[in-house]
Amino acid sequence: MYGWHLRILRVNLTTHKVTTEDVDPKIARDYLGGRGWAIHYLYKEMDPMVDPLSPENVLIFATGPLTATPAPTGNRYMVVTKSPLTGALAHSNSGGEFPTWMKRTGFDMYIFEGKSPEPVYLFVNEDQIEVRPAAHVWGKDVHETTDILKAETSEEARVACIGQAGENLALMAAIMNDKHRAAARSGVGAVMGSKNLKAVVAMGNKNPALHNPEEMRALSVDTSKNVGADVKKGSNMRIYGTSYVPQVTNTLGILPTRNFLQGTFEGVNNIDGDALKNQYLIRHTPCYRCPLSCGRLTEVPDGPYKGKGEGPEYETISSLGTGCGVSNLAALVKANYLCNEYGMDTITTGMTIAVAMEMYEKGYISEEVIGMPLKFGDHDAMIAMIRKMAYREGFGNDLAQGSYRLAEKYGHPELAVTTRKQEFPGYDPRGSQGMGLLYATSNKGASHMEGDVAYEEVFGVPVKENPLTTEGKPELVKHFEDSFALMDSSGLCVFVAIRYAFNKDRMILPQRLAEMMNFSTGAGYTPEEALKAAERVYNLERMFLIKAGSVPENDTLPYRMLHEPLPDGPAKGKVVELDKMLPEFYKLRGWDEKGYPTKEKLIELELPLN
Amino acid sequence: MMIRVKLIANYREALPPEAKHGVVELDVPNGTTVYDAISRFDIPLNDESVIVLNGLTVDMNTPLVEGDMVTAFSAIAGG
Repeated sequence: MYGWHLRILRVNLTTHKVTTEDVDPKIARDYLGGRGWAIHYLYKEMDPMVDPLSPENVLIFATGPLTATPAPTGNRYMVVTKSPLTGALAHSNSGGEFPTWMKRTGFDMYIFEGKSPEPVYLFVNEDQIEVRPAAHVWGKDVHETTDILKAETSEEARVACIGQAGENLALMAAIMNDKHRAAARSGVGAVMGSKNLKAVVAMGNKNPALHNPEEMRALSVDTSKNVGADVKKGSNMRIYGTSYVPQVTNTLGILPTRNFLQGTFEGVNNIDGDALKNQYLIRHTPCYRCPLSCGRLTEVPDGPYKGKGEGPEYETISSLGTGCGVSNLAALVKANYLCNEYGMDTITTGMTIAVAMEMYEKGYISEEVIGMPLKFGDHDAMIAMIRKMAYREGFGNDLAQGSYRLAEKYGHPELAVTTRKQEFPGYDPRGSQGMGLLYATSNKGASHMEGDVAYEEVFGVPVKENPLTTEGKPELVKHFEDSFALMDSSGLCVFVAIRYAFNKDRMILPQRLAEMMNFSTGAGYTPEEALKAAERVYNLERMFLIKAGSVPENDTLPYRMLHEPLPDGPAKGKVVELDKMLPEFYKLRGWDEKGYPTKEKLIELELPLN
Repeated sequence: MMIRVKLIANYREALPPEAKHGVVELDVPNGTTVYDAISRFDIPLNDESVIVLNGLTVDMNTPLVEGDMVTAFSAIAGG
């Protein structure tokens, strides 16, 4: 077989028994890889009602058929499990180098079951597969852990691990790889911590055989050249990463500011891409085989926030920065470093601190409870909260539950800006209506990575849609959700894959991805089949969600988005008009009027009926 | 009348040196449109650019009024 190894590594952490198994080629084809394979196995093997932090939850690392191939950005993996933050599905994506190294061990996917009696890490070097003691790295941060485990295994190995936040089961804990890259969202790091699994260390030389290596290389060279030559489009990413985005969202009035109390931030010039570039940027740090290079190594050379690391990218600026009303760039950069070291999702971390700030200012949580004043804009308090969250110290124990549970505990759940208890990313949907529909229906709670229609509504890719209108948005959201499911399953990064969508013909993206996957696997997908497989993945995730109790009634938005009009900026006076979009979305999806997939739809997609 | 033009990220290279944080003030005649204002700068005037008036999606032939802000940036998927 080509492209896929068609091999899975299964690790029972309770017994430390390791087994390998083959993947049915029909399942491989029907579910694409990565995110698609993972939901197939999760749905088949696990009761969706399990406690996410119990040994019964299953944790899956999954690469795709383009991971570890010459495909540009063919270097992603997905972490899929039941989320302790949302109680629904978690599927978090990451790049760096680890995903390619993982696939080179000769396995497409690792499945972790049970719970180890003591801290362990998994070492895989092709057929050498060992569950090893990890007591000596338990309690250490992501950077220390990575250095120690590489030193005791091989400098050629790559490490994915949790920091203190994951060990302590903080619900915003990420799984970090290559020190700075994160499968960040939905508390996947807490699931890893609950299993006493500190790290996964991977190395090997088993590149997947390619069905048509010549065509694959030609297409890859062509794509890289296009991205590289595309100065106007590509250079922003090269120069700024995503840190140029605050100026865009501020212009449109959708930059989350002070827990979404506002849509514009007066201090944006202090924390935008130019400020970062001029003050702290050292150099660009691409993921393996990436022609875009959006990662950036930065350093605060001196002062109280001295440090060195990667970031911040946009989502960190809009959460720990504007979300908290913070305009001190050095403090914001330091906060990002701390999140990477403790292993935390910056979005949920920042927006949870933001809701605590609002509750403090409104008198709902006292200084006595918090241990210090916590006003919007207080960057030192913001930094102090990050450590408290990671260690669940004092008030940090409340923060570590995420913004919804925090706001609910102190009597004001309406202040949490979440769907399915997951915090919003950096696009206020009151001024970006399609994003509102996306957040409301996303299989993993609020997330731009479920189908980022901001590409059209905000960034004009491939065409600029008016973000303030609802017409046509249900179709746009469905198309983007299916396209993202395809990209997440393939092993490509959305940043380069979406480049194929620089075309008004919406079939170009599935056409290009199908071509690449065919060169890799020989599976002979038509573009329609590839998109249909992605729709299958999306619908099976929906079934998982429903069985987990995260029912269609949760397809809604928090109070602020539906009832509190934006007070400022171009979208002033707007709320999300969800009721104008949701029924049409259900209809386009082939779901009934309550949001459940119909029998006909499940049969069409060859999905199980129960 | 006085209007402002704001260019973001790599488009800032097209601004004169007196621009601050990507914003330049211009004295333009009455009847100047969004297109007229933005075409003074060396940026692509096609689908490669996103051009908004006071943050809103408008027709490029919309006439400007005193105090308006025209903003342009390169169309590129973001974060």
